[in-house]
Amino acid sequence: MKKILFQAVIIISLIFTVWFALSRIDWMKIFKVEQITNKTEKKLGDLFWELYNNSGKEIKNEEAVRPLDSILTKICVSNTIDKSQVKLHLVQSDEINAFALPNRHLVINTGLILAAEDEAELAGVISHEIAHMELNHVMKKLVKEVGLSVLISMTTGSSSSEQVKEAVKLLSSSAYDRNLEKEADIKAVDYLKKSNINPVHFANFLSRLSDKEPAGIKYFSWISTHPDSKERAEYITALCNKNTEYPQPVISRQTWDTLRQYLTEKKDKIKFDE
Amino acid sequence: MISSEQFIYQPGEHEAEKASNSYLMSLIALIAGLPFPIVNLFATLIFYFGNRKGTYFVRWHCTQALLSQLSVLPFNSFGFWWTISIIFSSETITNNYIAYIFTLIIFNVAEFIATIYTAISTRKGTHVAWWFYSDLTNLFCRP
Repeated sequence: MKKILFQAVIIISLIFTVWFALSRIDWMKIFKVEQITNKTEKKLGDLFWELYNNSGKEIKNEEAVRPLDSILTKICVSNTIDKSQVKLHLVQSDEINAFALPNRHLVINTGLILAAEDEAELAGVISHEIAHMELNHVMKKLVKEVGLSVLISMTTGSSSSEQVKEAVKLLSSSAYDRNLEKEADIKAVDYLKKSNINPVHFANFLSRLSDKEPAGIKYFSWISTHPDSKERAEYITALCNKNTEYPQPVISRQTWDTLRQYLTEKKDKIKFDE
Repeated sequence: MISSEQFIYQPGEHEAEKASNSYLMSLIALIAGLPFPIVNLFATLIFYFGNRKGTYFVRWHCTQALLSQLSVLPFNSFGFWWTISIIFSSETITNNYIAYIFTLIIFNVAEFIATIYTAISTRKGTHVAWWFYSDLTNLFCRP
């Protein structure tokens, strides 16, 4: 019996030794797994953005985009994130929403900017979305909800346009799971601190919007799709260091006001035309 | 790892054929149920129960074939469900996963070759004992 047990241990050890030895080889590099994944993500990102921007609501006006770009640059530079990889899109929509698409497409609705009281609140949301990108949550969510085989068929053009629309809807109007949201919040606070932006503004934004939510739920996508905003505001506040002083804002108050004024005028003009 | 030994009696033609079939059974099942590791075990198990009252030589080889299938089942199942979780959930392909799949391939191919060799030898009436499995078989299978 002892002999059999000894032999069993040897066989099991042999299997684990072979596994361990093989895992020392960089298979990911040999099989170009990351390259293939990046290629798939790029194709999906472009496909999704093309579909989302079908209505042509993207605002490309320098006056409006530049302040956002400044905030994004500040966050990226302070956290050694490659800013050139992030594709910022400002979209004309009353919906208070911002979301990330594959291949680092960051979509910000004008409604979200108008709902924010200052640039630090907007920086909080941008940091949160960048955290989702950096932590690979976008692709993780897609693979989990849509499935790898369907995603690959999308990139080869063999899936229906309905499936692609559903996937875009999934990313733009539904939350990540609770753990991923918390992970992105914690990372966002870290990004904000390193960028010299007080994270308490981000907490305030969440708290304020969650209070207003029942009055107009259809416009509060970012809040209604991100559950437990109150709880999130609480743990973000807990992560803030009250004694830290933050220097001047990323963009001046004047630039922020000009941006809001531009967006308000544009919104009013659209309403008037309608 | 595999050795030809003298059995306690010389098996007849009919016995050799049946004993050889027990290994072939796991091979046929291996081809049919390649992505589903449980299929191989079921096929060998059915053959084992069908020959439970066979001669000692047949029973012995059915047991050795069954035990070898049983031992690879947990490893193959783990690899199978790991693959499923990559395809259908948020799990991603990692270096450890690829290494595990290669480990599975190596051990499954080794078992495949050993099974073919044993099936051919047993058909000739030669008693083939596998390292570890033969001792384990002796525990369960008595004359």
